[in-house]
Amino acid sequence: MKALLDRLEDLDRRWIYLIVGVGALLPLIYPLNLPVTITPPVRNIYDYIEKLGPEDAVIVSFDYGPSTGPENDPMAEAVMRHILARGIKLVVIALYPLGGVTMSQLSLDRVAKEFPELTYGKDYVNLGYKSGGIAVLKAMGQDLHTIFPMDLAKRPIADLPMMQKIKSYKDLKLAVSIATGIIGEWWANLVNAQYGLPVAVGCTAVSAPKYYAYLRSGNMLGLMGGLKAASEYEKLVMDGYPALRRIYERLNGPGAGGGYTAIKGMDVQSVVHLIIIAFIVLGNLAYFRSRKRPHHSEE
Amino acid sequence: MDDLVGVWVAALLTLGLFSFLYKDNPYFRFTEALFAGISLGYYIGNELGNTLRPNLLEPLRQDFSGNLHLLIPTAMGILLYARYKKSLAWLGKYSLAAYVGYYAGYNMILKLHGEVLPQIQSTILPLNQFSAKFFHTDLIILIGVLAVLVYFFFSKEVKEGELSSQVFAKVSVLGTWFLMVSFGAAFGYTVMARISLLIGRFNFLLNDWILGTFARF
Repeated sequence: MKALLDRLEDLDRRWIYLIVGVGALLPLIYPLNLPVTITPPVRNIYDYIEKLGPEDAVIVSFDYGPSTGPENDPMAEAVMRHILARGIKLVVIALYPLGGVTMSQLSLDRVAKEFPELTYGKDYVNLGYKSGGIAVLKAMGQDLHTIFPMDLAKRPIADLPMMQKIKSYKDLKLAVSIATGIIGEWWANLVNAQYGLPVAVGCTAVSAPKYYAYLRSGNMLGLMGGLKAASEYEKLVMDGYPALRRIYERLNGPGAGGGYTAIKGMDVQSVVHLIIIAFIVLGNLAYFRSRKRPHHSEE
Repeated sequence: MDDLVGVWVAALLTLGLFSFLYKDNPYFRFTEALFAGISLGYYIGNELGNTLRPNLLEPLRQDFSGNLHLLIPTAMGILLYARYKKSLAWLGKYSLAAYVGYYAGYNMILKLHGEVLPQIQSTILPLNQFSAKFFHTDLIILIGVLAVLVYFFFSKEVKEGELSSQVFAKVSVLGTWFLMVSFGAAFGYTVMARISLLIGRFNFLLNDWILGTFARF
């Protein structure tokens, strides 16, 4: 043990990168299928959407870009699958300038293909990107059609059947912001606080701690923080909907036929976190051992 | 075939960025510079196409006299660039003042109405309801908020023999413990976030690049 700790002090950090890399790669090739436990902030979102039906509409805002796609994509797609599986009207928008609209297009295309019985314009729409952040959110409360006169494909949204009934926040039952950075906060402290629209946020893990304050103050009804929460939502929709279970079982499978899901990712997270914890413990042991050496007391 | 070319380009650029983990090298620097340039180009193109064209150029082209008011924010926006010429820099201050004034005023309401008041309200908890939630959540939040406030705002010099200052010092230390726990939680979440990005790239290299290429041939 002493020899190991001595060697750790001079360990080239590239060995740590290699070990973390191998620890991340192996569970992707050989999934462990570790159990997923559900936390209340995630269950609250699921339960709320469960109460909605085909006459209701939900807006999903893509407030992230490709740089956080591995965290945000799974939660966006799980929520949209849940919404479409229940036949709830889905309005997709993007407020993040660096690629938000591309992420919305790719995710909605992927998910919509799984529901061939649903029709664009009648069951779901993609209104595309609008710059302006807070100003856009504020103006949408007055008239959504003025802010988004056209959808992503440049069709007038007044011509889309489902949009004839959706004019502002009061025609929506829920807003889900899948966010990196501050945009999710605006949904909570502006849209919920000023217009009373229930808001749920799916954010990157880095942002999650600050969002708990909004959750506790009631500005958000639920929170998905990082990949762990995304895996919880995937588990909830798998358990609740046999059709979605089949989709996720295919995506969770190995090989080129498989895809990327949060449940798959959480296997990797667990292994890599164990490696990191082991290095933290060993690093601290090596540090305390080095402090006991004579050259420290001579100073 | 186009897809496969795109996947190969993305894979080679991903490997270029990963190469920094071994050591700094020209391949990494080329990839980094390419990424920075493309990001900036995308952003400029995005703003031109999604902000200037629909909100300024198209309305002016269609009805110039009816949209003359749009020239005011346009002029104010252009004045911001006056700062690059020293003798004209003062012109940009008016635009900046309007910009700062707008956001300060707007954010004041946003923060007060949407953050400060609801969060203070959720911290004012009943202390006479001794449920399980009170002991494992509410009480901890209450002690944490008070201890951290003492640490940041109400700390005072510790004087020997003065009981109140010593009590303040102890509560202040408790506040630092609460802060340490919150920093630890934030660090844990940050590690999770970064590993998620690594997983995303590895999944791409494994499934889209390697297995995807084999599946094609």
